Amino acid sequence: MLLFARISVQNFAAYRADFFLRGIMSLVQLAAELIVVDTIFHNTETLAGWRLPHMLVLVGVYRMVAGGIRIYIVPNMRRVLEDIREGTLDFVLLKPVNSQLLVSIREFVFWRITDLIYGGTAAAIGASMLAKDIGATQIATFVFMLAAGFAIIYSVWLALATIGFWFIRVQNIEMVFWNVFEAGRFPVMIYPYWVQWSLTFLVPLAFITTFPAGTLLADPATGVPAAAPYYAAGIAVVSVLLSSWFWRFGLKHYSGASA
Amino acid sequence: MSHLLRAFPAFLRVSIQAMLQYRGEILLWCMWGIVNPTVLYVMWSAATRGAPDGKIAGLDQNGFAVYYFFLLIVGHLTAAWDVYNMSYLVRKGQLSPLLLRPILPMWESLSSNLAYKITTLMFAAPMWLVFILITQPSFQTQWWQAGLGMIALLLGAALNYMLCYTVALVAFWTTKLDAVGEIYFGLGMLLGGRMAPVDALPPYLQIASEFLPFKWMFAFPVEVLAGMRDDVHAVTRGLLIQAAWVMLVVLVFRISWHLAVKRYSAVSG
Amino acid sequence: MAQIEVEHLGKTFKVPEREAGLVASIGSLFRRKYRDVRAVDDINFTVEAGEIVGFLGPNGAGKTTTLKMLSGLLHPTAGEARVLGHTPWKREADYLRRISMLMGQRSQLQWDLPAVDSFYMHGAVYDIPKADYQQTLDELVELLAIGPVLKKQVRTLSLGERMKCEICASLLHRPAVLFLDEPTIGVDVEMQARIRSFIGQYNRKHGATIILTSHYMADVTALCKRIIVIDQGQLLFDGSLPALSEKMAPFKVIKIDLDAKCDDYPFAEIGEVISCDDRKVELKVPKAEAAAATAKLLTDLSVLDLTIEDPPIEDVIKQVFGGRAQRDDAETTETAGASA
Repeated sequence: MLLFARISVQNFAAYRADFFLRGIMSLVQLAAELIVVDTIFHNTETLAGWRLPHMLVLVGVYRMVAGGIRIYIVPNMRRVLEDIREGTLDFVLLKPVNSQLLVSIREFVFWRITDLIYGGTAAAIGASMLAKDIGATQIATFVFMLAAGFAIIYSVWLALATIGFWFIRVQNIEMVFWNVFEAGRFPVMIYPYWVQWSLTFLVPLAFITTFPAGTLLADPATGVPAAAPYYAAGIAVVSVLLSSWFWRFGLKHYSGASA
Repeated sequence: MSHLLRAFPAFLRVSIQAMLQYRGEILLWCMWGIVNPTVLYVMWSAATRGAPDGKIAGLDQNGFAVYYFFLLIVGHLTAAWDVYNMSYLVRKGQLSPLLLRPILPMWESLSSNLAYKITTLMFAAPMWLVFILITQPSFQTQWWQAGLGMIALLLGAALNYMLCYTVALVAFWTTKLDAVGEIYFGLGMLLGGRMAPVDALPPYLQIASEFLPFKWMFAFPVEVLAGMRDDVHAVTRGLLIQAAWVMLVVLVFRISWHLAVKRYSAVSG
Repeated sequence: MAQIEVEHLGKTFKVPEREAGLVASIGSLFRRKYRDVRAVDDINFTVEAGEIVGFLGPNGAGKTTTLKMLSGLLHPTAGEARVLGHTPWKREADYLRRISMLMGQRSQLQWDLPAVDSFYMHGAVYDIPKADYQQTLDELVELLAIGPVLKKQVRTLSLGERMKCEICASLLHRPAVLFLDEPTIGVDVEMQARIRSFIGQYNRKHGATIILTSHYMADVTALCKRIIVIDQGQLLFDGSLPALSEKMAPFKVIKIDLDAKCDDYPFAEIGEVISCDDRKVELKVPKAEAAAATAKLLTDLSVLDLTIEDPPIEDVIKQVFGGRAQRDDAETTETAGASA
């Protein structure tokens, strides 16, 4: 793992301009998101019950989750899709390790860690602006919610990558994902009821950004249900199990087809 | 010139054929142009409910529906993306075959830009209708505004295309220009009236947008088409400013293209 | 009349030095060291109209760089070149319309469309009159035998088929000068032979001037009466194939047929034994000693037949370039490109 990180540091130090640019770019991206928040509250007091500090937390969470996805989920799933297309997945299957585990930990885009740092900082600032005591339990629940959200996203991606076993040309699946993820920038409460419902239960986007941010704030004004952590736990477990089953099902199809 | 008149339609024909080959991918591409304005519309219309008089920058919920409906169209028809793929062309040496031709490579890129817009219309137009059906906006656009708005749209598209292609030439000096692309796109988003109407921007952004071309690409055509601009003279002046920007950018392009090719022929080829 | 004139042509690239190791690579973020690489160094030659000239040399020798300068893709750092009366790197449309450059590893065809669509576009780009276009296309399609693949997506074609389509596209506007950079790379042997014979035929029929680089000796020996050998950016030889062996080969091959088997004769003292098969012996002898060696063999042994030959051209080239011909890393100097 350390070796991988080291090589990727070297690799990318080779692209000099990128190194500086990327560090700055993460910051610029965050700045742009903060500008959006500033613009919103330049014009209004509340956005579906969310006020400026609440939105800061949400922006922070969005950035952290997006960063996590780019650090680790997207690069690995891209590689899986590539392996399926090129037929190099066979090398993975030959290794005496659980294939799902192996395909999930091969790549690591280390420089995106800045997203976690910036996002975390934004969330912390937002939370502290509320001048309310945030207890250890709240932080623990928040971290738990983030982890659950991450597990859900991981499962979604694993499922998307598994589709690659049947449809080879799915490079653009990533685009679909970011399209939907875009909707998570704002609290789901702004959407009409049916969209809210779909974003909670069909495409559990609410559990990835809105609900974690809401649990940290523990403010009824945000409209995040108090029972959200329980739902999150349930949905995370179900999606991990389902996607894992789907992966194994896909593998069977793959080895059947390429034999 | 007559040569170009013959070559360009050929480029366009072939580009359209190529686009049709990629229709699946292109639809996904096109989807972003639908999702992003729609999400922003929903956000702003939620925000009007929290605003003191239910209006933001003079727009109520219906005003935002009209604004974002036209932004869907303007955003689609002014799209440009050379800043994203120029670095690929340069890095992979794909530019060499293009440079060997006795015609400016930009013409081929422009043809695929137009081909994209034409081929995706079949997909985008129904989505625009769906947007209307769901948001039920009531329009107040007058005929003269529609007419001048279309000219503004054309000029906006030309401006975005030319500037995007010119900025893309940075690829000749640096290996990856994803970051440049993101900044370009981000500025268009923040200052071009896409994230919010220019009038709703905080003062520091409004000032920045005054001095940059982005609002002339998107916000101005949208405002004219949406009937938000009542003064004919002001609109005409806007068209002239757009035209001036286009000319300025074309000039900058000509100089930078010359330098870019010089650079390319010094180092790679 | 000379169509291509090259005088003191030179190209020096600045290549960033990259050191191994973590510390060094982080250090290079801040301060980059550059190293000058002379890809082409003071080259002179002229080519007459209708000639086919072969460029030989190991990877990274400067062949492609030279071709790129002649086609106007690269600007030289020294010297002059005139092709068809133009200075290539001014990239005048009139010049570009009269030349063609085929790069074996790069495609000018639209990947996702049938080749015929690319041809059509090519016709418009080069402003070829409709009638000429159709006539040239028909002729090329027939000569190259690509009729059946014209309507197939380029991405589905085999490498050989694709290469023939690339050649067809390069020739549609009837270029007076043709630069072929590795036109047969990666193509199977039979297809190589066909492409080769087509190029020869085309040259004879239309009198086009052709400069060709190739990894495959056979391409060069079959097509080119004239060879230019480049190594490390410098012109080592310019002349005919036999002259090349004459000049470059420092040895001769003596073949003898013996009357009787003669195992105990010390052939190794005369020259390097290439083969010793019963009564036939082949010896490699330094050129200067060939006469003496022949005399000695004839007096010592009862020889039925004796021939003195130049070694095969492949061996000569191998000899000239030593092991370097196989080494690929020098190629980086040619592709260093826009990384600076």
